[in-house]
Amino acid sequence: MTHRRWFAPWLLIAPALVWLLVFTVWPSVNTVILSFTNARPLGGGRFVGLENFHRALNDGQLAEALLNSVIYMLVCLPLLTLLPLLMALLVQKRLPGITFFRTAFYTPVVASAVVVALIWGWVLDDRGLVNGLAQRFALLSGPLPFLTDRWLLLLSAIGLTVWKGLGYYMVIYLSALGNVGRELHEAAAVDGAGSFRRFLHVTLPGVRNTMLLVSVLISVSALRVFSELYILSDGTGGPGGRDMSVVMLIQMYSRGFTGHLGYASALSLLLFVVTVGPLLLLLRLDRKAA
Amino acid sequence: MRKYWTRLAVAAAVATTVAGCGLAGGGDTSSQSGAGASAAVTGEIKGKVSLQTWALKPKFTAYMQGVIDSFQRKYPGVQVTWLDQPGDGYSDKVLSQAAGGSLPDVVNLPPDFALPLVKQGMLLDVATADPALTQDYVSGGTDAYRFPGHSGAYGYPWYLNTDVDYWNADLLTKYGLDPGKPPATLDELIAQAKVFKEKSGGQVYLMSRKPGLGDLANAGVKIMSEDGRSFTFNTPQAAALLDRYRDAYRQGLLPKDVLTDKYAGNAKLFNAGTVAWTTAGGNYITTLATDNPTLAPKVVPSPAMGTPPLYVQGLSVAKSSKNLPASLALARWVTNAENQAAFAHLTSIFPSTKASANDPFFSKSDGTNAGSAKVIAFNSLATAAILQPVQVDGAMSDIVNQQIALAISGGASSNKALDDAVARCNQLLKN
Repeated sequence: MTHRRWFAPWLLIAPALVWLLVFTVWPSVNTVILSFTNARPLGGGRFVGLENFHRALNDGQLAEALLNSVIYMLVCLPLLTLLPLLMALLVQKRLPGITFFRTAFYTPVVASAVVVALIWGWVLDDRGLVNGLAQRFALLSGPLPFLTDRWLLLLSAIGLTVWKGLGYYMVIYLSALGNVGRELHEAAAVDGAGSFRRFLHVTLPGVRNTMLLVSVLISVSALRVFSELYILSDGTGGPGGRDMSVVMLIQMYSRGFTGHLGYASALSLLLFVVTVGPLLLLLRLDRKAA
Repeated sequence: MRKYWTRLAVAAAVATTVAGCGLAGGGDTSSQSGAGASAAVTGEIKGKVSLQTWALKPKFTAYMQGVIDSFQRKYPGVQVTWLDQPGDGYSDKVLSQAAGGSLPDVVNLPPDFALPLVKQGMLLDVATADPALTQDYVSGGTDAYRFPGHSGAYGYPWYLNTDVDYWNADLLTKYGLDPGKPPATLDELIAQAKVFKEKSGGQVYLMSRKPGLGDLANAGVKIMSEDGRSFTFNTPQAAALLDRYRDAYRQGLLPKDVLTDKYAGNAKLFNAGTVAWTTAGGNYITTLATDNPTLAPKVVPSPAMGTPPLYVQGLSVAKSSKNLPASLALARWVTNAENQAAFAHLTSIFPSTKASANDPFFSKSDGTNAGSAKVIAFNSLATAAILQPVQVDGAMSDIVNQQIALAISGGASSNKALDDAVARCNQLLKN
């Protein structure tokens, strides 16, 4: 006799399901609910309708933070999509000592983002290495305000992100390049294609899917940037808080005894919507190209 | 049957969600004026009671254990459980205890930590529960635990501290200034900073911090309305002060990084010998003797400019305590004149009890610069005040700092920066 137990599959997936519900679904649902309240860590929680979203849309600092995040993404995206590919092509060659370069390029990835940002802070501050050397060799009459100028601070943080991310994406490309058929390069070479044309017509199509993946990863992490800007600006977001990212704003509003959890949740939802946009665009571009 | 279970699960999830986010109640009780005890707490002092302190172990373990042991000897029926929390993350710890309903019976809370708990009716009004409160403690200490909109006081003041100005005598002398006559006003500070910059060629600074709400208060600016419901520091007086700092910044009298550096940066630069002035607590030279022993003897202390800031630590009693008589007795015991004086002899803090006012230990220097700093700090307490309202939370503090930095950098006019800061802080206060 066959005894059907409808709940058997549920039992099997229950541990994973519970994990997912508790640590992913529940916090997400809770964020949506909180965004419609004036919740605080202690008390609050009164329903306020769309007030938080209305406030966010009129928040000049959020507009600046979004602009920072978008600039971050627009600069990081091409740099971190192309430079690691070129680096991967260089270190892919089997030359003596190439392992050293592979390791050297990957080292920043291993280092903690906070430690790296602190070191960059020391390098770039008024009396740091860069300003010190530039003034010593009479390249500058006074220190450049890398950490106090609205745009220089943003560019410094972007530079840090790019420097730290190169090795990571290089490794992803290295793995993808290993799957590009050698015979395709040989056939193209026999047909008279030079290095550049082989790169355009063999290598790039071969790693197209990886480039899309890398672009998606970069877009998401650039829009959610936090550590670099936070550490370089010593948590202040620069003069006027003009160098804050959206995540920094969320952190600012949600921390402490009197954190404004409702408003911070509304900002989180807005960031989610903004992050989904580029993802959908990239996926659409990929579908078209396919 | 299957549909029934599915519906039940969905209903349970929705109920949990709604309750979890606080929609089910637990609103702010800030409108209640008497969140504390309605009468004096009396009763036999016995049973179990918990005491939570902040970063006293291991340096003061022996002292605290001695205080607790003597309390248990006086009240043999009492058993005290002492919890000491690490310095970092203390506010998060207290927050989780408060949210989880597990606040210790007696807990060390500075006034800004106490206020959110008072708003939720979690702390006992010790002024009502213990009518003798005002007899033993200085008014500055007890007043720190009185909050607009809430009658009573919500903590026994424990130890106090304030700021003292410290000057690097070597640097002052080297660049033509008299360490015996350090600046006592902002005008003198700016004037001497100019001399300092000219003679040092901009290599070292006299000024190295941007102003904060305390500086605005010192300039006579009213930071908040009396009822604590709105900020009022966007005045022409405040704008004039920021304009002066902006001009000083433009003239290169302050390091550029001051715009993003936090207060700690000031002392850090002083320790490194790259600035000649810092403000710090009464025990700064003692600490400096460890961090930079060659600099410590060259430091000259002087009273803080304007009204010195008052820093207060206190012991609050959880309203949910199941043993209020013993909790109150313990809080009072730890903060009594004898125990506070003994504590203050171990480190540079000052008692909040009236009985210590004439203690020569605090009012007479041993002739060292560290001793002079202690005496200056002790004498300053008579006029010290809490300059930054306790209603200023982390986000508000960030906003104020950002806007002040913007004004000083010249990115916005002082008036606009202050208007923006007040508008945004008021919005946070309202929500």
